[in-house]
Amino acid sequence: MEENQKGILHPLTLLQEEAYKVFTDLGFEIAIGPELETEWYNFDALNVPKDHPARDMQDTFHIKNKEEHVLRTHTTSVTFRAIDNAVKEGRIPCAFISIGKVFRNEATDSTHEMQFFQIDGSMVGENISASNMKGVLTHFYKKMLGEDTEIEFRPSFFPFTEPSFEVFAKFKGKWLEMGGSGMLHPNVLRNMGLDPKKIQGFAFGHGFDRIAMVRSKIPDVRLFYQGDLRLNQF
Amino acid sequence: MKFSYNWLKSYVPEIPEPEKLAEAITYHLFEVEDIENKTNGDVVFDIKILPNRAHDLLSHQGLAREIAGFSGINFKDPTSLYKIPESIPTNLKIEVQSDKCRRYMGRIVRGVTIGPSPDWMVTHLESIGQRSINNIVDATNIVMFDCGQPTHVFDADKIANNKLYIANAKKDEKLILLGGKEIILDESVLTIRDEFDALDIAGIKGGAKAELDLNTKNINISIANFNPVSIRKTSHKVGVFTDAVKRFENDLSPELDAYAMIELSGLILEMCPSAIFEDIVDIYPQKQEAKKLSFTTGKVSKILGLEVSTKEIEDILQRYNFKYKENSGIFEMEVPFMRLDLEIEEDMAEEIGRILGYDKLKPNVPKIKFTPKINEIYEKIKKTRSILVGSGYREVTTYTFTNKGDVEVLASASDKKFLRYNLIDGLRESYELNKLNLPLLGQKEIKIFEIGTVFIKDCEEIHFAYKNKDGDWEDKIEKFSDTALKFLKDSLEESNTLDLLSDEITHKFKMWSLYPFITRDIAVWVPDDISSDRLKDIYRELGTELLVRPPKLFDQFTKNGKTSYAYRLVFQSYERTLTDDQVNGIMSKIADKIRLNEWEVR
Repeated sequence: MEENQKGILHPLTLLQEEAYKVFTDLGFEIAIGPELETEWYNFDALNVPKDHPARDMQDTFHIKNKEEHVLRTHTTSVTFRAIDNAVKEGRIPCAFISIGKVFRNEATDSTHEMQFFQIDGSMVGENISASNMKGVLTHFYKKMLGEDTEIEFRPSFFPFTEPSFEVFAKFKGKWLEMGGSGMLHPNVLRNMGLDPKKIQGFAFGHGFDRIAMVRSKIPDVRLFYQGDLRLNQF
Repeated sequence: MKFSYNWLKSYVPEIPEPEKLAEAITYHLFEVEDIENKTNGDVVFDIKILPNRAHDLLSHQGLAREIAGFSGINFKDPTSLYKIPESIPTNLKIEVQSDKCRRYMGRIVRGVTIGPSPDWMVTHLESIGQRSINNIVDATNIVMFDCGQPTHVFDADKIANNKLYIANAKKDEKLILLGGKEIILDESVLTIRDEFDALDIAGIKGGAKAELDLNTKNINISIANFNPVSIRKTSHKVGVFTDAVKRFENDLSPELDAYAMIELSGLILEMCPSAIFEDIVDIYPQKQEAKKLSFTTGKVSKILGLEVSTKEIEDILQRYNFKYKENSGIFEMEVPFMRLDLEIEEDMAEEIGRILGYDKLKPNVPKIKFTPKINEIYEKIKKTRSILVGSGYREVTTYTFTNKGDVEVLASASDKKFLRYNLIDGLRESYELNKLNLPLLGQKEIKIFEIGTVFIKDCEEIHFAYKNKDGDWEDKIEKFSDTALKFLKDSLEESNTLDLLSDEITHKFKMWSLYPFITRDIAVWVPDDISSDRLKDIYRELGTELLVRPPKLFDQFTKNGKTSYAYRLVFQSYERTLTDDQVNGIMSKIADKIRLNEWEVR
């Protein structure tokens, strides 16, 4: 039984490598960004104004003695920064994918954790449409959860996208909520330095832990962060 | 918000059956979080109304209009159902002194009788989880849950000189709210007041001074519209969150006030037919302007990635009673005053898309002209990981939140309020935890690592850290190089086994037992020609399902034609704490079987 002398990756890392491969094969570039983010990138740039109830949709960690900073509540801030830079470098159309830790100030239970991972992807270009996003996400979830996986969009609301969708994946006969998505709101495109009359784009931000939990039947999200090696089974 | 099926049905008589309705709401509008069948035959839907539709959908009428629209059925406009009372001139004076009040409608009604509500009102309110209080208060609540407009009623005889001011509070002014809680106000808080006192935090909650009681005869109806940002800020400041706040902070149309006045007056007239209504006082300094929205069939199709026809769009607009003009695919639409969410062309792409159904979108993977660059940081992380894993290290992820650090978060739901400034503290804790479980892990010794972000005074850095029995090491990911391999060098020579019960590696996770495990070592002399596998098979067979790890050979030596094999067995139950007796029972069966083979337990 001494056939394997290697260490073992954390299950989320393993999944991360697979997910990045799926997206880089489709021509996406990997983006990484700060976890302690400015309110501008986390909210304002994404069309979530101050003093608007939409800010309550995510329970945010604010930082002591560091006004205008928050722990990022989504990795959409990372793809925003990446597109922002791509615009400056004249690299439009473009597509970015980012998997990173995000934070929500909420009580924890088996499906909620104050820190978790999100996979966030975005593509912008002249004719990028909602059906393009459906194509990309269908391809992704088939790779993650199996060829028989279906996905569907249901109406939702996020300030940074219009239209907005909640994405569901059908896994073993059950529809599961995977996360939010939509077509980038013209205000967000303008904040990236793009002209919404000419350029369209999609963006999605999905719970990454959830994909791992569904795929491997891991019963409790908190298991990912306890440093317990009994988790490293694959 | 909770919606009563029967209440909705009064506006859309051809409403689909509850199950079909829930499905249609899910696919055309918003998530239905819960469906409850009431004993009285009603069905209550809990629907997640998101901020963009809080303007019109935190109300039964609003939802009924939507249902009529996406189902293509008739909506019964209730306006004509309410009797308009005859009214007499009034002495009520209202002075709006703040631009945060966009409209204020007041009305005195004399000779009402406070008492129980009619049955239908009690049923309506109870179905959506509201308690009946008295006929007048219940009527205000019915109006809010029916059309979305919060309203309030004062006891008119408790207001000085029949005159109201909508003005800022005084510094350190006290106000006792309905329910008895006392709060201290300041000049930023907008109040409804008489000459002497604050009577109400505008748009948030009423005060006790002019509260209705059983002796109330004359009432003062208050229906207003306020600046949403001001409501939100004040509500946070005074710590009062009400159904009224939820509606006002999301912005309501001031045009709604007039409808709410008709509905509330009509309800009061019905319950108190002899009451005398005075004229409505309507102060409307910031009139909502009529809004037009242009969009094209082409842009809607381009956003959705779906060929939508002008005819399909027209059909939808007609079902929703939207007024519009169309010319070769260019639409100009009058936006209904409640639909504050409809502002730009993209909003109409959403309207058209969700009503057609997003199942119409065909998955279509795009090809774009873009040359991705290599992400240097990610490459560095991947390389570090692969060297560590190749050296027998296992990866953990520990918490970013700790109880000490340079950066502190505010108002955390947890007692760990700081962001970690290193990885090593978490890694050491993880090390101790895993050391206890070593027999379960199939690792010769614990060797772990983590790669993650740490927060140091004014910056954040991505670090790697690893630990084994000889020590630990942490540095920035950029510094990972041969010098960082201090404790790694021996590891490649050692064996770290990954032994699974089944040899197949799958994605199937098996949750571990939460009960303690027991280990037993057993050494056996067997003749040279007998393979250790024979022993292993006995252990596996007799060890039962309580043997949670593969038997692990940890020592062997040969002497006088015999070999001694020493195995470690790990027992654990998923259902209970194992006792020594239980494990001893298994071990004695194993010993019996070994003796049967004429081998010798050492």
